[in-house]
Amino acid sequence: MAEKFHAELKTLKTETLEMAHLGRFMLRTAVDALIRQDKELAASVGARKDEIQSMEVRLEERCYQLIALNQPMAKDMRIIACTLKVITASLRIGRYGKVIANIVKKISDQPHIANLMSIPHMADLVMEMIDDVIEAYEKDTLAVISEFSARDDTIDALRQSIFREAITYMMEDPKSITRCTNYILVARYLERCADHACKIAENVHYMHTGERVEIH
Amino acid sequence: MSESAIITTNNVNLWYKEKQALESVSMKIPKNKVTALIGPSGCGKSTLLRCFNRLNDLIDNVKITGEIKLDNKNIHTPGTDVVMLRKKVGMVFQKPNPFPKSIYDNVAYGPRVHGVKDKAELDRIVEQSLHHAAIWEEVKDRLNDSALGLSGGQQQRLCIARTLAVEPEVILMDEPCSALDPIATAKIENLIELLKRDYTVIIVTHNMQQAARVSEYTGFMYLGRLIECGKTVQIFEHPKQELTENYITGRFG
Repeated sequence: MAEKFHAELKTLKTETLEMAHLGRFMLRTAVDALIRQDKELAASVGARKDEIQSMEVRLEERCYQLIALNQPMAKDMRIIACTLKVITASLRIGRYGKVIANIVKKISDQPHIANLMSIPHMADLVMEMIDDVIEAYEKDTLAVISEFSARDDTIDALRQSIFREAITYMMEDPKSITRCTNYILVARYLERCADHACKIAENVHYMHTGERVEIH
Repeated sequence: MSESAIITTNNVNLWYKEKQALESVSMKIPKNKVTALIGPSGCGKSTLLRCFNRLNDLIDNVKITGEIKLDNKNIHTPGTDVVMLRKKVGMVFQKPNPFPKSIYDNVAYGPRVHGVKDKAELDRIVEQSLHHAAIWEEVKDRLNDSALGLSGGQQQRLCIARTLAVEPEVILMDEPCSALDPIATAKIENLIELLKRDYTVIIVTHNMQQAARVSEYTGFMYLGRLIECGKTVQIFEHPKQELTENYITGRFG
């Protein structure tokens, strides 16, 4: 019986990784669409919304069934607890991708202000955090997430700097207000995605060691 | 364990002839708590349990070394009264084993052996013990019926009442639910929860969910050794030893 359960646990993890990759892909694609002002690409992100949502429902249900039928303990229990968090965070990251894609539709007819400020750089850093935390979950390793607190500080600082820069441009030229406000929003969404990566990192740490830590 | 210990074992080894069944077992059993012993078949958990009231003395060719203390007194010192020891450390077995007597006489048996003759006093002990074992309501109108007419779960609770009648300090339970259905099991588990107010309970069980449900402390044994012992929550959430982890997640055993 334990073998069957462990095989199911493995499948659960594989499918959760697929969902995490989809969430990451939606965010990356939305940011690329923003940079390239590509409305078609942005629309393709919105089209994946239902898919990631149904993945969330299906995988969460699977977790609850595995708990109900197997009463998992120790590492097995911690894997499921962590997986539930990965599922929720991946959905959120995917949804932020969709929200950013909606912004692309609104602001792509006018040129970028200051080359999108630090948004492309910030997005790269956030994507790296998401990639690393997915790897940490997949391989059950903590090495790639050891610097997450410092990396999250960098993300927070970038959001602040984009905020200040956008304000400056808005004061200079009221016609930039729509674009700059949306830049502030995008920076905020990216920062939230980094927070979700930190949340997953905390849970991977719990899965790996059984100890709770705070990463932010 | 920060709680005061009622039983302490120090480097206990036990052999059945040449076969070593316990190897350097050192542990503390906290007072008024439920401690569960888990581990695969043949790991020594029942043997260890039977050390606590020297039940292994009844088996030929058993050799024990090390120290077992109850209330800070070594139970192997020559002057130890084994009958008194077993009064203090009662035991409930895997299969309910009521005597072929009435319900009343089953419970009154122990007190009578220990010299209680007064009928009113015996009545009081029987009623109180049956109450404590959560079976009084079911048997109060048929105390003179044969105990063998009770269901398995009732028989097991009667055996617990019989143990309680001599006012033990510690109750040893060796797989007390493995011969019972889920409802009778739930009743015994509820009873264990009540018993720990007045007694120390040590339970051996194959059922890990049961150990997790009823105990505050858990010891995991493997091949005669105590691998890990600690708070039940810790053992089942993040055990320190890989062997414990592998056992409770069903990777062996």
